[in-house]
Order: sequence, then structure tokens, then C-alpha cells
Amino acid sequence: MKGSAGPYLRCLAAAVLLFACAAAWAQQDRSAGLSQSRQDELAHKHDGYYGALAPQNLAKHRPKPPFDLTGTWFVDLRRSFLDFMFGPPYPEFYEAGKTAMKEAAAARAAGKPYRDSIGQCYPAGMPMIMTRVWPTNIIQLPTAVFMTFGFTNSFRVIYLDGRPHTDSDIAVPSYNGESIGHWEGDTLVVNTKYFETNEHWIDMGLPISDQFEITERIRLLDKGMTLQIEYIMTDPMNWKGEWHSTHRWLRQDYSDVPEVECLPNLNENLPSTEKGQQAIEKRRTESNKTNAAPEGK
Amino acid sequence: MKATKRVIGSVALLLFSTPAYVHHSGAMFDLSKEVQVSGTVVEFHWSNPHANFKVSAMNPAGQEEIWAVEMNSPNNLVREGWKRTTLKPGDKVTVTVRPLRDGKPGGQYVSIMLADGTVLGGEQKR
Repeated sequence: MKGSAGPYLRCLAAAVLLFACAAAWAQQDRSAGLSQSRQDELAHKHDGYYGALAPQNLAKHRPKPPFDLTGTWFVDLRRSFLDFMFGPPYPEFYEAGKTAMKEAAAARAAGKPYRDSIGQCYPAGMPMIMTRVWPTNIIQLPTAVFMTFGFTNSFRVIYLDGRPHTDSDIAVPSYNGESIGHWEGDTLVVNTKYFETNEHWIDMGLPISDQFEITERIRLLDKGMTLQIEYIMTDPMNWKGEWHSTHRWLRQDYSDVPEVECLPNLNENLPSTEKGQQAIEKRRTESNKTNAAPEGK
Repeated sequence: MKATKRVIGSVALLLFSTPAYVHHSGAMFDLSKEVQVSGTVVEFHWSNPHANFKVSAMNPAGQEEIWAVEMNSPNNLVREGWKRTTLKPGDKVTVTVRPLRDGKPGGQYVSIMLADGTVLGGEQKR
């Protein structure tokens, strides 16, 4: 009996020892410091060029810009409240755009939302984020323009430090896109592309494709009190030619951007969202069950 | 021809436009109607981008219904006298809303009469 149990016990002891060593090794590995290359990787280190806020980049000699956008701004709706929209006039849409126009009109006539993605916490995305009816903070540095929007605190950067657009093979699509700007006389010209197209609409639900691009011609007027941006938007998959739209913002020296989050559970309290509608229906169903219960007993 | 295009454009604008002071479509609300709901506050959320509250009220059939009331942002509401402490559960109020088109118990806030008779709101601000 002794002779037959010996090998098994030795095997078991070896297995326990192996497990203990592996556990100790794993523990040690987790607490060990990162290699420099791993540290750089996790910090999103650029390959060969400075970040926009690097002191060395900020200190580079550049011509003085013709204006400074730094300030708090609010879209000018004094002419019409509907100036938050980018049309009409609209370009000649292809099939998807035409369908969206029809479906949006039908939904509105029926009192229903259409492509209400913002109401489900999807980002508004460019260009709609620019004209949401909330103040926007803009900070202009020599290397970049940073925008923080009051609406859900969406964030946008326009790089001015001479970098090119990211290689399309590795660019990550986003709702506000990748913006690269340069100065042309008294105008800041910005090209933005690489957009996430999922649940990303313009105006009442007009679709965009991954070929959507925006050129903005940005100027300051009225001694720096008015910001004007001319939008030139192209999307060869969705409309013919260029879609033009010009908007203005007014400097707001007595305003700030608060923290604003879009939360799914908040939307359950808002009857105009789909989640809010579902919550009302659920309460009604539960109430009906409660009222019906005594009869059922 | 140009005039016709302008008319079509205007109609399209009216059809498609949504009130952007809400962060989503406002198509569910009947902006041409206002209804009053008297009841008891169940909960009140003083939050961005929209404050909101719920009121328990009796429907014409004598059954309790919970009305969900959607408001503007606190920053706007402060201008008409609202505070984080304006409502608490159990308060008796009468609220005026633009109701949901489908008849469900919910609406967009217009004004409110508090238990002490104070009235807040009442104007569509633009």
C-alpha cells in the first residue's frame, strides 16, 4: 500500500509546489514596474513628435496668430432659433438622405422622435455639437485650440502645430473627428475627418459616411466679440457637391461651462426620450397589475 | 420658382425643427396644449442637462398615475426662482405641462403652483 501511494503523493506535492510558484510569479509580475516601452505605450506616446501641450512645442517660434479664440461662446440665435441647424438650404441628397428627410417628416407629424440618438446618450458629434444650445469654452494656444462644450462636456481639439492628419490606416474614428488647422491671412482654416458614423446624424437625422469631411473657415468679427464659422461639408456617399452653412457665436464673458453628463438613468425620468417612454409604460403596467390583484385572488 | 423653393424650404424647416434647448427630440410633446396636474411630488432631480420631477395624481377613473415632468436645465430654472430645495417628496403641487401626444402621463414643464401658493414659470423663454 505504501509503495503504491508514494508516486501519487510526490506528484501531488509537485503540483502544489508548481501552483504556488506560478501564483507567486503572477503576483510578482503584477507588482513589478513597467518597462519604458510599455509605459510609453500606455501613455499614448507619439512616435517622433511633441504633444500639443509639450513645453518644447509651445515654445517653438511661430508667427503671431491674427486672433485669439480663448473665451466662452454661445451660438447666436437672435435672428432665428433654428439657426442651430445646418440647413436649409440643403444639398442634393442621395437615397439615404432623401429617405431620412421623408422619415423625419413622417415621424414628426406622428409626434414621434426620429434618430433620437442624442437622447440615448450618443454624442452629438460634429457639426451638431458646435451649435448645441449650451455655452462652449475655447482655449487657444500656439499649438492647438481646445474646445469643451457645455452639452455633455464633449471635447474637441484643433491641432495647429503643423502635424498632418493621422494615417488613415490607423486613425480611430470619433464623433468630433480629427481636426487640423492652419492660418490663411485673417482666417483659421480647419479640416476635420475620420468620423464615427454610428448613430451620428446632422440636423433631423441625415446620415454621414466615413468619407464625410468638414472644412471650417473661422474668423473673429466685431473686435473679437463675434465668432463666425463658415462650414463646407462634403460626403460623396450622401450628397452632391458641397453643403455650405455659416454660423455665428457671441462672446459670453459672464458664463462658464458646467459639468453636464448624459446618464441612462436620467433619461428614464425624461418622458421625451425612449427610455422615459419605456419607464412610463412600465409604471403603468405595474399599476394595472396592482389594481387588478384583488380581483384575481 | 424661387418663391416656391423658399416656401418648400420654410415648410421643411417647420416640419423638421426640434427644440434644441432639450438635448433630444421634443416631438413627443404637444406644444399646442397645456394641461394642469394636481398631486403629490414623488421625487425631484436637480440635474444637468435636465431637471425633472414626478407627481402622483388621480386620473379621471380614480386610479393613481405617476406623471413624469421634464424640465429645462437648472441654470435656466434658477432665473425663474427655482432652487435645489424647491420641491421635496410629499409636497402638494399643481403643475402645468405640455402633455405627451400619446396620452401617457408625462409632459414638458411650463409652470408650477407650490403648496404655499407660489407660482413659478409660465413663459416659454427663448
